[in-house]
Amino acid sequence: MIYSLNSVSKFFVQRREKVQALDGVTLQVRPGEQIALLGQSGAGKSTLFRLLNGTLRPTAGALFFDGRDTASLTGSGIRAMRRRVGTIYQQHNLVPSLTALENTLCGALGRMSLLSTLRGIFRPTKADSELALHALELVGLADKRAARADELSGGQQQRLAAARVLMQSPDVILADEPTASLDPELAETMTSLLAGLARDGRKTLVMAVHKVDLATRYFPRVVGLRAGGLSFDVPQSEVQGDLLNRLYARDGKSPGDHDGDNFQYKFRCAR
Amino acid sequence: MTPRGILSLLAAIALLGFSWRFADVRPELLLRPATATAIWNLVRQLFPPDLSPEFLRIVLRAAAQTMATAVAGTLLSLIVALPLGVLATGTLWNRGVLVAADDRFAYRIGWMASRLARTILGFLRAVPDLVWALLFVAAVGLGSLPGTLALAVAYSGVLGRVYADVFEHVDPQPLEALQSTGATRMQIFLRGVWPQALPHLTAYTLYSFECCVRAAAVLGFVGAGGIGYEISVSMRLFEYGQVLTLLLVFIVLLILTDVASRYLRARSVSRAMSASEIRPEPKSPLRILTGKSRRLVAWMAAFSLMVASFALAGFTPEALIQAGVASRLTDFVRRMLPIDVSWAFIGSLGIPLLQTIAISLMGTVIGMAFAVILAVPATSTLILVRGDSPGGHRIVDRVLRWLLFWIARLVLNILRSIPELVWVLICILAVGIGPFAGTIALGLHTTGVLGKLYAETMEEVPIRPVEALRSLGANPLQVLLWAIWPQARPLLSSYTVLRWETNLRASTILGLVGGGGLGQVIYNNVQLGFYSRLTTLILLIYALVLASDWMGERLRLSVA
Repeated sequence: MIYSLNSVSKFFVQRREKVQALDGVTLQVRPGEQIALLGQSGAGKSTLFRLLNGTLRPTAGALFFDGRDTASLTGSGIRAMRRRVGTIYQQHNLVPSLTALENTLCGALGRMSLLSTLRGIFRPTKADSELALHALELVGLADKRAARADELSGGQQQRLAAARVLMQSPDVILADEPTASLDPELAETMTSLLAGLARDGRKTLVMAVHKVDLATRYFPRVVGLRAGGLSFDVPQSEVQGDLLNRLYARDGKSPGDHDGDNFQYKFRCAR
Repeated sequence: MTPRGILSLLAAIALLGFSWRFADVRPELLLRPATATAIWNLVRQLFPPDLSPEFLRIVLRAAAQTMATAVAGTLLSLIVALPLGVLATGTLWNRGVLVAADDRFAYRIGWMASRLARTILGFLRAVPDLVWALLFVAAVGLGSLPGTLALAVAYSGVLGRVYADVFEHVDPQPLEALQSTGATRMQIFLRGVWPQALPHLTAYTLYSFECCVRAAAVLGFVGAGGIGYEISVSMRLFEYGQVLTLLLVFIVLLILTDVASRYLRARSVSRAMSASEIRPEPKSPLRILTGKSRRLVAWMAAFSLMVASFALAGFTPEALIQAGVASRLTDFVRRMLPIDVSWAFIGSLGIPLLQTIAISLMGTVIGMAFAVILAVPATSTLILVRGDSPGGHRIVDRVLRWLLFWIARLVLNILRSIPELVWVLICILAVGIGPFAGTIALGLHTTGVLGKLYAETMEEVPIRPVEALRSLGANPLQVLLWAIWPQARPLLSSYTVLRWETNLRASTILGLVGGGGLGQVIYNNVQLGFYSRLTTLILLIYALVLASDWMGERLRLSVA
C-alpha cells in the first residue's frame, strides 16, 4: 500500500468552534492505482489532499505513507515523503514573478543539494534545464518558457503546474480539481494528459474531478466524499445514479467551506 | 551578464568605494581593545538604572514636557496643514473634472496658488525637524516652546502633503454629481470630498502624532527640552544609569502613544461604519456615563488636555506676548538675510556634503546587510514550525526555533526604538567623533527599521506558492530563495530605496551631536551666530532632498 488511512479525522478551530473537515476516513491506495475523487465543494477534498502530501497532519487517526506512520517522521523524513508526492493545486500555486522555466525547475528542489540550490538561482545545471524544457514540451508550453507565470492564461498556468510535477517526477501525483477553471475541452485534455502520464510512468494518481463523466471515463476507481466522510468507493463500472444522487444531494445545511481559503486565512491571522 | 548589468555593477562598486572613503569607514577601530572596553564600561554603567526620587521627578517632568510638546505640535501642524493641504489638492484647483469647464483667468490663479502651496509644503517637509528646532532654539531660546514650533512647522509639511494626497484620491463620481447640481467648489469640498476623506485624515493624523512623540523626544538634543535634553545632559555627565531610565521611559511613552492611537483609531473606524453594522462600542473608561453627558465629559477632557499641553509646552500668553516671541522671530529672520553665497563658504561645504551623502549610502548598506541576516530568523513563516504540520518535531527543536525568532525580533525592536542621535552618542564612545560614528549609528538604526519591514514583507507574501514548494519537498532555504524572495523582491527593494531617502535626510543632522557631515557645519555656524550661512545650508539641504526624491523615484521605478 502506498497510502493507508486509518479512520483519519481533521478539524480546524474557527472562532473557537471546531469545524470538522474530515471525519473518520479509512482508505487504502495501492501503488500505481488511479483514483478519481468526487464530491461537492466543502466535502473535504482539499483537506484530504493536504493530508496526503504532508502539509497537514491528522487530528485523529493514522496516515501511513509507503508503510510508515507519518506521525513518526521527523523534518527530513517529511521532506523525503513530500519529494515523492507531487501536487497540482486548484489555484495552481505558481510563483507569479518567476518564468515558466524557473517554475518548472522548482519541481527539482527536493533533490537539489545546497550548492546547486544557490547556483540554481543564477544558472541551473544543464541536466536540470534540459529536463525542465522536456517537461514544458510535454505539456505544450515550450514556446512560453521565458514568460512570467502571471502572464500566462488560466489553462497555461494549469499546464505549467503539471510540468512542475513532471519535473519533480514523484511516485504519487495528487491533483486537486485542476480542471475547475478550464473550459470543457481543455479539462478533458488535461485529464487525459495526467491519466496517460500516470499510466505510462506507473505512478499513483489521485485526482479530484468535478465532472462525473471524466471520472468514469479515465479512472478505474472512483471515491465519493461527502461532508468529510466516505460516501462510496467503487470501481468505475459501479458508479450509478443513486450513488451520485446521494453524493450531490442538498441537505438543508450548506457544507461548511473550511478547507482551502478559510484555513489559509486563519493560519495567517493566528501567527 | 548584459552590458547594462555590468555597468550598474561597476557604478555600485564605485559608489561603495566613494562612500567608504568619505564616510571615513575604519573597521579596525571597532576591533581594538579600547573599543571593547568603552562598550563594556557603558553596558556596565547602564545598570542599575537611576531610580532615585529626585531624578524620577526630573524624568517625569521631562516626559510630560515631551508629551505636551507632541500634542501641541500636532495640533498646531494640523491647523496649518489643513488649509495648505486643501490648496495643494490638484483635483480641486488645476486638473480633473471640477475645473475642466473653468474660465481661464480663475483657473490660472488657482493653478498658481496650488503649485505654491505644494512647494511650501515640500520645503517644510524637506528640512529636518531637528534643523527647525535648532533654528527656533537660536531664535527664542532653550525650552519646549521652540520644540513645539519646530514640530508644528515640520509636521505641517508632512501632514499637508498627506491631506492633499487623500483629498486627491477620493472617489470623483460623487463630486461630479454634486457639481452637476450647481454646487460651488466650497460646497463640493464640504459635502463630497471631506466626508470621504475624514477616516483617512484621522488615521494619518494619529500616525503623525506617534511620529511627533518620537521626534519631540529627540528635539531635546539641540536644546528643545523634554526627554532628549535630559538624555544629552546625562550622557555628557557620564551618568549612564540615568540614560537607561530615560530611554526606558521613552519606550514606555512610545508604547502608551501606540495604545492610545490604536484606541482612537478603532473608535473612528467604528464611527465610520454604516448603521447596519453597529457593533458594541469598544470598552471606554467612561462607560458609567451615558449618551450626552459622556460626550460632554470626553470633550471637556480633550479640551483640558489640550490647554494643559499648550501650557506645558511653553505656549502661555505671557511667553508669547510679554517675552516677545514674535518680535524675536522676525529679528532672527532678519539676521538670516542676506543669504551668504561667498565662494569661500560655499567651497568649504563640498567635503561635508560628500560626507553626508557617503554616510547615508554606507549607513543604508550596513543596515541592509544586517537587516537581511536578522530578518530571516524573524520571519515566522520560515522559522517557526506550524502546529498543524505533520511529523514529530522534537520539543528542543521547537523551543530553539521559538527562541531564535523572539531574540531576532527583540534585537530588531531595540535597534529600531533607540533614535539615531542616541546611537551616535553611543558610537562616539567607541570610535570617536566623526562621520564613522554617524555611519555606524545610522546603520544600527536602519538595521532595526529595515529588518522589521523585511520580515513583515516576507511573512505577507502569498502563501500558496510557498505551500506548493514545501509540499514538493523543498527545505526552508529553498522556500526562501524560490518562493518568498521572488515574490517579495519588488517591495523589499522599494522599501530599501525609500529608507535611503529618509537616511539622507537623517545624515544631514547626525553631525549636530558629532556624527559628521553637514550637521557639523550647521552646529558650528549656529554656535558662532553666523545665521546668514544657516540660510545657505538650509537651501542646500532642500536641494539635496529634492535631488534624492528624484533619484529615489527613478530607482524605485527601475527595481519595481
